[in-house]
Amino acid sequence: MSEQVEHLIKKEYAAGFHTTIDSETLPPGLNEDVIRFISAKKNEPEWLLEWRLKAYQAWLEMTEPEWAHVKYEDIDFQAVSYYSAPKSMDEKPKSLDEVDPELLRTYEKLGIPLHEQAALAGVAMDVVFDSVSVVTTFREKLFEVGVIFCSISEAVHKYPELVKKYIGSVVPQRDNYYAALNSAVFSDGSFVYIPKGVRCPMELSTYFRINEQNTGQFERTLIIADEGSHVSYLEGCTAPMRDENQLHAAVVELIALDNAEIKYSTVQNWYPGNEEGKGGIYNFVTKRGVCHTNAKISWTQVETGSAVTWKYPSCILRGDNSVGEFYSVALTNNYQQADTGTKMIHIGKNTRSTIISKGISAGKSSNAYRGLVRINPGAEGARNYTQCDSLLIGDKCGAHTFPYIESKNPSAVIEHEATTSKVSEDQMFLCQQRGLDAEKAVSMIVNGFCREVFKELPMEFAVEAGKLLEVSLEGSVG
Amino acid sequence: MSDFQHQAIRLTAQQQPLTWLESLRNKATDAWLAQPWPTRKTEHWKYTPMQGLQKTLLHVWGTAANQILDKALQDELIPVDATRLVFVNGVFDAKHSSRLPETVVRFSQADAEQQALIEKYLGNIVEGEHHLFATLNNAWVDDGVLIHVPRSQRLDKPVYIVNVVTAVAAVSNQRVLIVLDENSQAEIIEHYLSSADVQNGFANSLTEIHLGDNANLQHYRLNMEEEHAQHIGAVHVDLQRNARLRGFALALGSSLMRVDYQLNHRGQGAELDLQGIYLPRNQQVVDYHTNICHWVPHCTSNEVFRGIVSDSAQAIFNGRIYIHQDAQKTLAELSNKNMLTSNKAEVNTKPELEIYADDVKCAHGATISQLNTGARYYLQSRGLSRAEADVMLSFGFINELLEQIAQPAVHDYLQPRLAKLFGRDNSLNEVNVLAELADDKTIG
Repeated sequence: MSEQVEHLIKKEYAAGFHTTIDSETLPPGLNEDVIRFISAKKNEPEWLLEWRLKAYQAWLEMTEPEWAHVKYEDIDFQAVSYYSAPKSMDEKPKSLDEVDPELLRTYEKLGIPLHEQAALAGVAMDVVFDSVSVVTTFREKLFEVGVIFCSISEAVHKYPELVKKYIGSVVPQRDNYYAALNSAVFSDGSFVYIPKGVRCPMELSTYFRINEQNTGQFERTLIIADEGSHVSYLEGCTAPMRDENQLHAAVVELIALDNAEIKYSTVQNWYPGNEEGKGGIYNFVTKRGVCHTNAKISWTQVETGSAVTWKYPSCILRGDNSVGEFYSVALTNNYQQADTGTKMIHIGKNTRSTIISKGISAGKSSNAYRGLVRINPGAEGARNYTQCDSLLIGDKCGAHTFPYIESKNPSAVIEHEATTSKVSEDQMFLCQQRGLDAEKAVSMIVNGFCREVFKELPMEFAVEAGKLLEVSLEGSVG
Repeated sequence: MSDFQHQAIRLTAQQQPLTWLESLRNKATDAWLAQPWPTRKTEHWKYTPMQGLQKTLLHVWGTAANQILDKALQDELIPVDATRLVFVNGVFDAKHSSRLPETVVRFSQADAEQQALIEKYLGNIVEGEHHLFATLNNAWVDDGVLIHVPRSQRLDKPVYIVNVVTAVAAVSNQRVLIVLDENSQAEIIEHYLSSADVQNGFANSLTEIHLGDNANLQHYRLNMEEEHAQHIGAVHVDLQRNARLRGFALALGSSLMRVDYQLNHRGQGAELDLQGIYLPRNQQVVDYHTNICHWVPHCTSNEVFRGIVSDSAQAIFNGRIYIHQDAQKTLAELSNKNMLTSNKAEVNTKPELEIYADDVKCAHGATISQLNTGARYYLQSRGLSRAEADVMLSFGFINELLEQIAQPAVHDYLQPRLAKLFGRDNSLNEVNVLAELADDKTIG
């Protein structure tokens, strides 16, 4: 059976093309001048430059984290270019008509039409190409209800009080090695503000694309949901196929004020490297949200890409009755490595968290769930439920579970469960006997395995995620 | 490297070790000094409070102190018909020990053949590089117990090893080597005690177990020291083809109690059952780290640990299951359940799975909660006081494991003693609750 499976997981990375476009790219290297350059390029106020430099100083003193269950060659941070933008973006285009057609074609090819009439109805997009935000659609329509959705560089100018108040409030500059690096050199990203009591009328979405060679992408996303508001945000990403490893170190901060709700979904499809494990993106991301009273943050992620993933979307449940959720499907194939999971920090009373993690490993990959559930002494009546399931396809891959559970309050109830299994011959036999070929059968079994997570995704994404999984598994069945 | 590490080695000057163990001691001394002292950043010592031990001044070997078991402790021994060996502060107390059969010998009394056997296994079952204090035990090793059951033999009586620390600020190194040849069978009880007035004592224990093909061992490890004792210990086991181990661990808690179980399935078809109970109270710390490694196919592991943590006590549990690429058809399960009964109590648990083979069935579960209020209400509605209901429910929680103890003497010794712990602050009549428990074995 396994030969057949292996045959099925072999796949082509569809988004692996490169766009030829005139870019302004900084030479590789990192020092204070580079940071000053990025800051000047974006006309940033003095306080932000100071903030960046402080982060840089912190980063210099820190060491790379080594505790994750991943192995990769040391990254030469001086060989990475920290800023790259299409020349045509020097003057930010006022409307889509002014955007370089080559750029538009890139997104069309990726299946993301940017013209509002052609775009998926009900999804507003911010599109980030290397280090800059290209365009944000449906802005006027959103502005009518008071929702701010723009690139973070723009927000720094237009809404400095909001940015200044919240940036670094959830992920401080010194939080970890990659967060510090991001704080020093972040180039662009999305900014969202939902005013009090507003339910955002459409899905917000950011699409990240790495294009240039030898560059890293360091975006920063900041989402603030004011009291009683609601927003659903989606994130997608791709990169060209290259033999070198490219670095992606993002920071996402979510702030859900009293009674607010943020739903953050990711479909991560960075280039995973080729069959021999050459190339691919190093995805070292810090994502964290803070929930105030009665607020809710829900993370949903489908991770299929990247050579190495190091990512722990977390919730700080500060307010009483706040809720944190984490739904994850992580699929690794060939030589991919993923160390991903979540942290749920229960501080407020009656806080609740749910963690559902599904790991699928195929080929020679390694897939680890690493999670922390911490109940602080004041978290009276806190509740956590964790379920981690792993599915192994092939006998050369690894599936691991490293849950840390810490409780300091007797009234808290914590449950953790983990299982590991494989696509069994019985299941395959049953499906094939019913007329499905091996590939369809595996795809169906895997889809069923991930169902609990997929149902949390917005519809368009759920379809995409299902398809992505199918492609990623192509050739892994037998 | 810390002061503690240097002090520990300086202590060896007071020893007159067996010459044939010297090379093991020397090698271990170098390794011990080369390893870094664990801190909060050391993954396997993340939650274990080591500051207390680090400040402990290791002045004397317990050997300098009392060497005869005193009356009070004699009453604490398990009344079991067994081959008994008593060590007081690390020194063999012949008066309170049995006459030893051929299968049981102290290192210091070993003949040439036994010495060869000891040299073959001692320090080779343990994986020193991952176990700092096992390295220390090697560096300190002097007298110890060898239990060797030859092929197709069965120990007619259990072996009961008692280790007692009675001296203040005394150090005691305790070592057991168990070798079961093919088709042999044995039952071994290790019992660790200390006198109530011991302050800052430190015991380092290490048990190495080799189970040959089809060997069958029942092993009990009872850590029942008093509050101020400090104990770091480990049990390292190799299981060969179709070998079977039933292990039971108990810890009542002391100012520091840490035990590592390292279990290696090295032969196909080996089976492992490990159960544990921990009941820390007051300021005590209990830390169990278990690591089950499946290196070959067709082995089975089943591990269950339960704990009740009261007052300001802290419990740490880390249960790792590792499945090597070749270990297809493995069945492995781990369950860890915890109950917190106080606002200041703390539990840190980490069940880990590391799996590299696809045709396996593995699962682990961990829970932390308090007494079920619904169950308490039910008992109260049946006329029990709240205190009685709580005792019955908490005791029932661990009694489920106690009931599975195969050796009746150990079971009958532990059950009333543990039940007493729960009733300690209540005015209720413990005897009544116990009597009811005895009547109705289905509770729990």
